[in-house]
Amino acid sequence: MTTLVKPRGLFIGLTLLCLLATWLSLALGPVSLPLFDTLRAALRLSGVPLAPDGLEQAELILGQIRLPRTLLGLAVGGVLALSGVAMQGLFRNPLADPGLVGVSSGAALGAAIAIVGGAVFGDVPEGLAPYLLSVCAFLGGLGVTALVYRLGRRNGQTHVATMLLAGIALTALAGSAVGLFTYLADDATLRTLTFWNLGSLNGASYARLWPLLIISAAVALWLPRRAKALNALLLGESEAGHLGIDVERLKRELVFCTALGVGAAVAAAGMIGFVGLVVPHLVRLLAGPDHRVLLPASVLAGGSLLLLADLVARLALAPAELPIGIVTAFIGAPFFLYLLLRGRA
Amino acid sequence: MRLSVRVAALCVSWLFSHHAVAADLPQRWVSAGGALSEWVSALGGEAKLVGVDTTSQHPQSLKALPSIGYQRSLSAEGILSLRPDILIGTEEMGPPPVLAQVKAAKVRVELFSAQADLPTLTHNLTHLGQLLGAEAQAKQLLQTYQQQLDAQQARVAQAQTAQKAPGVLLLLGHAGGKPLIAGKDTAADWLLQQAGGRNLATHSGYKPFSVESLAGLDPEVLVFADRALSGEAAKTALFQENPILNSSRAAKAGRVMELDPTLLVGGLGPRLPAALKTLTDGFYPVKGGQ
Amino acid sequence: MLRAHNLQIQRGRKTVLDEVTLQLEAGEVLGVLGPNGAGKSTLLGALCGELAPSVGEVSLDGKPLHDWARSQRAQRLAVLPQVSTLDFAFRVEEVVGMGRLPYQSGRVRDEEIIAAALVAADAGHLSGRSYLALSGGERQRVHLARVLAQLWPGQAGQTLLLDEPTSMLDPLHQHTTLQAVRVFADRGAAVLVILHDLNLAARYCDRILLLENGRPVALDTPDQVLRPDTLQAVFGLEVLVQPHPERGHPLIIAR
Repeated sequence: MTTLVKPRGLFIGLTLLCLLATWLSLALGPVSLPLFDTLRAALRLSGVPLAPDGLEQAELILGQIRLPRTLLGLAVGGVLALSGVAMQGLFRNPLADPGLVGVSSGAALGAAIAIVGGAVFGDVPEGLAPYLLSVCAFLGGLGVTALVYRLGRRNGQTHVATMLLAGIALTALAGSAVGLFTYLADDATLRTLTFWNLGSLNGASYARLWPLLIISAAVALWLPRRAKALNALLLGESEAGHLGIDVERLKRELVFCTALGVGAAVAAAGMIGFVGLVVPHLVRLLAGPDHRVLLPASVLAGGSLLLLADLVARLALAPAELPIGIVTAFIGAPFFLYLLLRGRA
Repeated sequence: MRLSVRVAALCVSWLFSHHAVAADLPQRWVSAGGALSEWVSALGGEAKLVGVDTTSQHPQSLKALPSIGYQRSLSAEGILSLRPDILIGTEEMGPPPVLAQVKAAKVRVELFSAQADLPTLTHNLTHLGQLLGAEAQAKQLLQTYQQQLDAQQARVAQAQTAQKAPGVLLLLGHAGGKPLIAGKDTAADWLLQQAGGRNLATHSGYKPFSVESLAGLDPEVLVFADRALSGEAAKTALFQENPILNSSRAAKAGRVMELDPTLLVGGLGPRLPAALKTLTDGFYPVKGGQ
Repeated sequence: MLRAHNLQIQRGRKTVLDEVTLQLEAGEVLGVLGPNGAGKSTLLGALCGELAPSVGEVSLDGKPLHDWARSQRAQRLAVLPQVSTLDFAFRVEEVVGMGRLPYQSGRVRDEEIIAAALVAADAGHLSGRSYLALSGGERQRVHLARVLAQLWPGQAGQTLLLDEPTSMLDPLHQHTTLQAVRVFADRGAAVLVILHDLNLAARYCDRILLLENGRPVALDTPDQVLRPDTLQAVFGLEVLVQPHPERGHPLIIAR
């Protein structure tokens, strides 16, 4: 049996990794800022009264471009990983992924409606357009998940197996609806759709950030409180019930948290795959399946991984940018295979 | 003060202010629009370009410049790393938060309409001319362009006295596969009409074609634009992927013409009159002996 | 005290259990026997609240089962199912520790109980190992330790329901498991255990409920229930019943 990492060591390691990733994300980028300038600009931004000589660009890059982007990466990575844990607990299967309840495809459908609908019907007020996309994606994700959840309920009980099938069916349906919109789209909106589907942390701004920050903070604070209940859920739904857990309520919470969190993340940054599936796995391989460790560790690991992936996305083809979904798959998959093989040895 | 001194002072100050104005002109340019990059080059400003987007492929020398990615998903920091004075692009440039960030970094951002008509082009070229300090050249280019377009119209009118406008279809493909037919309200449609052709497609926008529609339409001339290949390779690929095309009148008569796909985006570009002439020559071939 | 009154359970149109009335007494081990499809697991399902009866009701200490608050009920009633579908690599102690969920007894006390429960289930040597690395029988004993931990140390007012806890165990562990269950009952807990093995039932149970086609055929001491004519009628098996040479309980021998 492979030796597991002790929780304390794991948290120290992950916190250090998170701090490192945050620092790299703030310090590195296509614009090369001298380290000293970065430090001074950072101090000025936090309120320390330093002389502003020559620091305007550094302050702008740091404060307006890199800092919101870093916060976005931490929030999206953390909430996607957390939702992955929630879904793997709900379906009692380590291969589960937040997309199973349809939230990702619902968000994609919402976004497609906004993108193509906006082009077809036009007349979207200038300032409203970017918010419209996020709101539609968020509502799409919530809507489809609500439908999947509703379909899985029978006689006041949620049947997880039925939910799974409903999720598959609705994902396919949403996918073909997106296909229809793709057909109706002209070249330009087609490109926008494609790029949205590949996900990006580009263009992060504080105004669009705060809804996501609030939601991911709420989810990240709520779910770890249900860690013991989640552990018991893995025994089986009836076993968990006999241990005194309100299983129906727990399932509802898991679906709701996932819908909210992933919906908000996809609305803010497009579709970023793989994080919800791989990060919980990595943490489990390192530290075991106890949710009391798994949940908070996944938040740290997910945020760090996404920031590091974003670093690659920003620097690999500078001054252009790679869509981050490509990077997460490229980095995540081989690393995951390596860990699996090592674990088996 | 003596008059000569005054005049000298005036001249000096005029020279000085002109130099100052020239120094105010943006020196480092980033362009996010293919046609715009071409016009900048045509106006002699290519040396000022420090970065272009992926649609800026003409002239060939632009491909050596750093790429800022696709025009609709630009990176603020990426653009800023080129230390530009100005960012130009069409209304397709985006995403909007990135443009706001670039503006906040005191980089001038100028939007140019991509509408394919002469008044827009006039406005754009004049503006570009001002920004490049090449107003005279801009005027000249516009004049020439107008003349070329007028000549084009005359050519078509002349040709149509002798021949009817041919039925045409424009296919936009990728390495020959899955071509889209250009319908109404597309730049391609405008081009075909300007060249004196009759676009047989009645739908709107670019749509994939079905075998029946082609069989039903049976164009006299086929125009194709391929995003991946060019020349003979593109033509071969097109007919290989879509064998039904071989049965069309156009293919049998050998009236298959190629069009550079970059002409279809970003508004009117400098290479357009030449392309129109080629098309017209193809639509109205000079019959032997006339 | 867990009581069932005039229970009837239906699955669709079919009545799978009918007219079952029983009371689990403190300190008693009640064995449930019957051929396949007799309704044993159905009865257990009704007694722990998973299956809703169409007629009759199940009550715990006089209150209907569903009126109990969840954690209160979990402190009094523990259920060991026949199979477990746990597919994650928890350590053995973590699995047993889940049994302490209904309590707020603190980490130190929990660890003591976990260790004691593992010993009682003869799984003490499995401590520290990964659940997924265990054999079927070992896993079964870990789950037994879990339900023991849930009711530890066992006292009057608590009920333990076990669905074929010996199905995957070797002969030695069949006995050690039932011995542990016996000890639990001796401390005052009420136990209901579904068994297939007639001799195990005869040795460890104070009373036996014999089911056939969803109906109770007999509810009495092993001596009274395990008679050749009864067994032949219910199981279709010809048997001899002799007293155990050392212990005196019925010993069923197939002819």
